[in-house]
Amino acid sequence: MTDTPAWTLDEIVVYAKRYGLTTMRDDHLVRMVELANVVAAAGTAIPRQTKKSDEPASTFRVPLLSA
Amino acid sequence: MNIAVKPAAVSELVYLTVGEASRLIATRKLSPVELAQAYLKRIEAVDETLHGYITLLADNALAAAKEAEAEIMRGRWRGPLHGIPYGVKDNYHVKGVRTTGASRLMLDHVADETATAIEKLEAAGAILLGKLNTWEYGTGTGEVWPDLPFPLARNPWNTERFTGGSSTGAGVATAAGLAMFALGSDTGGSVRLPAAATGVYGMKATYGLISRAGILPNCWSLDVPGALTWTAGDNAIVSQAIAGFDPRDPQSADVPTPNFSAALEDGVSGMTIGVIRDFGADAPEIEADTLANLSKTEDMLVALGAKLVEIALPAPLSRYRAVTGVINWAESLSIHEKDFMERSHLMGKALRDKMTSGFTLRAVDYVAATRHRRELALSSDAVICSCDAVLAPCTFLTAPPFGGQERLVRFTFGSATSIFNVTGHPAISIPTGFDADGLPTSAQIVGKYFDEATVYRVSCALEKAAETRAIRPKI
Repeated sequence: MTDTPAWTLDEIVVYAKRYGLTTMRDDHLVRMVELANVVAAAGTAIPRQTKKSDEPASTFRVPLLSA
Repeated sequence: MNIAVKPAAVSELVYLTVGEASRLIATRKLSPVELAQAYLKRIEAVDETLHGYITLLADNALAAAKEAEAEIMRGRWRGPLHGIPYGVKDNYHVKGVRTTGASRLMLDHVADETATAIEKLEAAGAILLGKLNTWEYGTGTGEVWPDLPFPLARNPWNTERFTGGSSTGAGVATAAGLAMFALGSDTGGSVRLPAAATGVYGMKATYGLISRAGILPNCWSLDVPGALTWTAGDNAIVSQAIAGFDPRDPQSADVPTPNFSAALEDGVSGMTIGVIRDFGADAPEIEADTLANLSKTEDMLVALGAKLVEIALPAPLSRYRAVTGVINWAESLSIHEKDFMERSHLMGKALRDKMTSGFTLRAVDYVAATRHRRELALSSDAVICSCDAVLAPCTFLTAPPFGGQERLVRFTFGSATSIFNVTGHPAISIPTGFDADGLPTSAQIVGKYFDEATVYRVSCALEKAAETRAIRPKI
């Protein structure tokens, strides 16, 4: 992730607005910038499965139980 | 009172184990009303300091205790939890009672359903004393900030020390005699970490064995409800009562529930116990007293006739942590999205940080984490199944002081608990002794899927050998 550009505050402000987050305080948006960079690194660090048929741990099974 | 016994001091009653109290109640030597009153007195005396409870249900508890006593006097003893007082983390719903989740967003939320685990305990005749303190929504980032609507729970071994989270009040109540047992919920260690911090037993059962229905969800694919108790035997009793298939929980396992206590006293002679010592080059160091007591625990197992073999997990601890972190961010935000989008300013910092993390996570990374989880679970299961049970560290340090966020986060997220949330195996936090400051040290006993009985059997053998159960917090 070292060559991945970090999120900027301007990008985060636009991103938050694009996805409907309009109530967040400015200092919380600044915090989002810090966390977004941590999240991006963590997400891309998850090893990818080599086989396309490897499914997620949570799979869809029928019959479903209705809660 | 209808049951004639000599008056007992509050401390004598509240420090009985479930097993001891149950035998006395069944033989009419102990009154459930007297027992409930003793707990309420104890709570009144020390909970202003410890803050274990958010909502006390004193009137309901006394009414239920009177009913239990009358029923027992009529000759209908329901079983080992009849008349036993307990507390429950305030993310379990109880119909007609507020569930706050320790959050400003839920202060006025009155539940319209009861969690299946609570229904089962009601059917067993247990007496609900109240709702226990928790991190907001039963989750967080490992950091502890005094920004929630309720005071921080305090560790009864040293009130300047952390209680473990997220089931903060559950460990406090069980260790300090504010409840004979408590229920918590465990997504990455939230039952086992408070148990480790307060020197009690905390079980995260096999995923799907205990119903999550009626509990405020944190992360669907990782959440496991569980009991905190003073002894391993007590834990087996409570888990027996709350386990079992539940059609209200879409992930409930449709398997028979074994008898968790049947082999409790059989010891470990002849067993092969795997020992995990290596958690990868980037894992935190296990601090000296915790490591020394782990070593003593290994020696005890050998002395009791077990064979120890060192086993290696298929990936470093950091990999399990990364998987659980990504899954947690995504599922938790999905659960609480509306709250986050509309009222994030009312959340405490820890919850808001977690929700904020989920907000920028890519879908493909979440799915990659769930795919890698399957691989980790399968390969870890092969290792765990090579033994009868596994001994592993729980936390790598004892309960740190409030205020130092780095050590608080290390206590929580640097522990070896999340491994078994990722894999779904049963894992119990057991007390192994004390550090130089008199704080409890801990370890985990881990078992094969749905083999909680062996986990309890090993824990019970160690409990008898270690003799740590005679020492209670002095508060």
